[in-house]
Amino acid sequence: MEHLKSELDSLRAELTQMYTLVHNQLEKAQDVFLENKTSLIKEIASTEKLVNAKELQIDSRCETILALFTPVAVDLRFVLSALKINTNLERIADIADGVSRMVVHSKVSFDKNLLVKIQAKEAFSQALAMFTCLEQAFEKEDTLLARDIFSKDKVIDQIMNNATGIAEEYSKDSPENLLQAIPLLSIMKMLERTGDHLKNIAEEIIFYAEAKVLKHAGKTSE
Amino acid sequence: MTTVEIAGIKRRRAKDNVFRYIVYALTFCCVAVSLIILFYIFQKGITCVNWDLFTKLPKPVGESGGGVLNAIVGSLMLVSVAAVIAIPLGISVGIFLADNRGKAKADRVSIAVDVLQGVPSIVVGMVIYVWVVKPLGIFSALSGSVALAIMMLPPIIKNTEETLVLIPNTLKEASLALGASDFRTTMRILLPTGIGGIFSGAMLGIARIAGEVAPLLFTAFGNPYLSFNLFKPVQSIPLIIFNYGTSPYDDWRRIAWGGSVILVGFILILNFIVKFFESRWKVQF
Amino acid sequence: MEGTILRTENLCAFFGTNQILKNINIDIPEKKVTAFMGPSGCGKTTFLRCINRMHELNPDARAEGKIRLHYEDVYQMDAMTLRRRVGMVFQRPNPFPTMSIEENVVAGFTLNGLKLKSKEKNEIVEDALKKVALWDEVKDKLGKRATSLSGGQQQRLCLARTVAMKPEVILLDEPTSALDPLSTAKIEDLLYELKGNYTLVIVTHNMQQAARISDMTAFFYLGELLEYDDTKKVFTNPKNEKTQNYITGRFG
Repeated sequence: MEHLKSELDSLRAELTQMYTLVHNQLEKAQDVFLENKTSLIKEIASTEKLVNAKELQIDSRCETILALFTPVAVDLRFVLSALKINTNLERIADIADGVSRMVVHSKVSFDKNLLVKIQAKEAFSQALAMFTCLEQAFEKEDTLLARDIFSKDKVIDQIMNNATGIAEEYSKDSPENLLQAIPLLSIMKMLERTGDHLKNIAEEIIFYAEAKVLKHAGKTSE
Repeated sequence: MTTVEIAGIKRRRAKDNVFRYIVYALTFCCVAVSLIILFYIFQKGITCVNWDLFTKLPKPVGESGGGVLNAIVGSLMLVSVAAVIAIPLGISVGIFLADNRGKAKADRVSIAVDVLQGVPSIVVGMVIYVWVVKPLGIFSALSGSVALAIMMLPPIIKNTEETLVLIPNTLKEASLALGASDFRTTMRILLPTGIGGIFSGAMLGIARIAGEVAPLLFTAFGNPYLSFNLFKPVQSIPLIIFNYGTSPYDDWRRIAWGGSVILVGFILILNFIVKFFESRWKVQF
Repeated sequence: MEGTILRTENLCAFFGTNQILKNINIDIPEKKVTAFMGPSGCGKTTFLRCINRMHELNPDARAEGKIRLHYEDVYQMDAMTLRRRVGMVFQRPNPFPTMSIEENVVAGFTLNGLKLKSKEKNEIVEDALKKVALWDEVKDKLGKRATSLSGGQQQRLCLARTVAMKPEVILLDEPTSALDPLSTAKIEDLLYELKGNYTLVIVTHNMQQAARISDMTAFFYLGELLEYDDTKKVFTNPKNEKTQNYITGRFG
């Protein structure tokens, strides 16, 4: 079935492009946030439009494949997971855009010490590492790699748990510090959501490759 | 099972068997009769079958020996000329009927063919006497062939029509869809595909007329000498059987039995040929 | 429409007094696959057979309106010339049983009285059989009877026979409905490859087949053309409710 195969190949290629686009957005957001590279803010905003267009393109292709080819088995799982991965990637891109807007909005420079305490850099690094891991897992259909995500996500969750306390502490020192603490906490929360989305993507990769549904089950990272 | 059902089954089975045995018995009778006839003919005539029978002419009354060479030659002439007339004509009419099945014109022709088939052979002979013998002023092999050809037509026509009708319409459509004309479609696709059935129709037609004597009585008439002339009277095996078989002379009657053996043998061989080629030329659709 | 090769204008078809097709107006694009689908008796096969005037073979049949092949009125043309330009593949594979495989491929030439030199003939045979992905399977037995092939192979042979004539349009009347799934898939792949060079019009009972291989889909119902659009649009968001009911299996 050559026709179906070429459609699936195109879908795969488009998803890979989506991964790359969103990964770059997240990296730029990190630079904007941690190193105040405000020049990147416009880039992020314009690339966001590309990301949205790509999301629509992928959705349309999935719709085409389902309507015209009634795929079954692994092909069906691939298309279903592609739809969800697509949505999750787009949300991550939204988050990256949100982070850069937050930096613009808050109009403050963040205290370097606070950033170190709250482990902002580590959180971002983990998120980006998870992203790279997922890109490879998707390309190679490597479910072991995909499973590594879960432990990395736990790191972000841990950082987040501590972040609230640290922000509170910081705010107590002076009311002005709230101007930093609130946006910072928002950004940390966004990072946590990024981790969740990446975890969803990992689950979808495992679903597609192994037909195992890990959603809502007790997960272990192997 | 209840006793009623058991009884029912037994009765049904018994009835079944009775009918089966009746059919077997009747079949056996038919086959037995044909075998007995064949056996009798061979028994009577086999003593006469020798080289002379095939190579000598009949001797005058009183002399023994002689053969039926002139009858063999005459029969071959009559049958081949009849075939040459009837086969192309019969196939053409068969094609016409197959092509126009269901239409009024085809129905009328079909009725005409049926009527022709029903005409008694002696009547055919009389008609040809008036149409051919009288104008030519002489009994001839040609008139005999014409009479035989008329009798051959119905089986050839029917066989051709039935063979062509059995060919699936999709074959014809495939040819037409390639841009072929009706004529080419018939000649290059339909006829070759149906050649098995058409050939058997022709052979059966020949077998039918090979043993006819009535139409030859007023047409070919008979000839004690060897003749290759279409426009002169000619001898044939059925005629010789008829004439010599009813004569009071032993010699002549023996010749008649010899001729019978030849005739029956010829028809049997023809039937075997038909069966052989039918299976070889059977076309899968 | 751009690149239209076949156009019908108010085409109506009758069998005696029975009207089978009602005012069909359709533009069929060149070098693409157009599928006709619809419930039994909707007229799609009749329409297909009108295009190469096979409809006329039935003595009660009649057609009104126009069909244009590249602007030429099909009914003003000689029917046999038309059929050389518009080939047809039928539902049941029908290779000529008295001919060998290679004779079947060039049957279009032989039946039209076109003589081919030996070299030309071999080239045509090889080219056509390669186009239908049959060459490797039969190249060592070209002289064998065509009926010795399997059903799927026979159908591909029929396609080769049509393709050898280099027609402008190929009409296919449910070409895979008599075949097993594997042969069906092979033929579908084949049609997908052929469409770059030939215009294909295919009647099919199998909606999924129409979805898989066609670029444009026409939905016929009770002799009318209810919907005609890009295949993707028809199968994701058909405009006509009856089309939707048909493809979702709610009727027909």
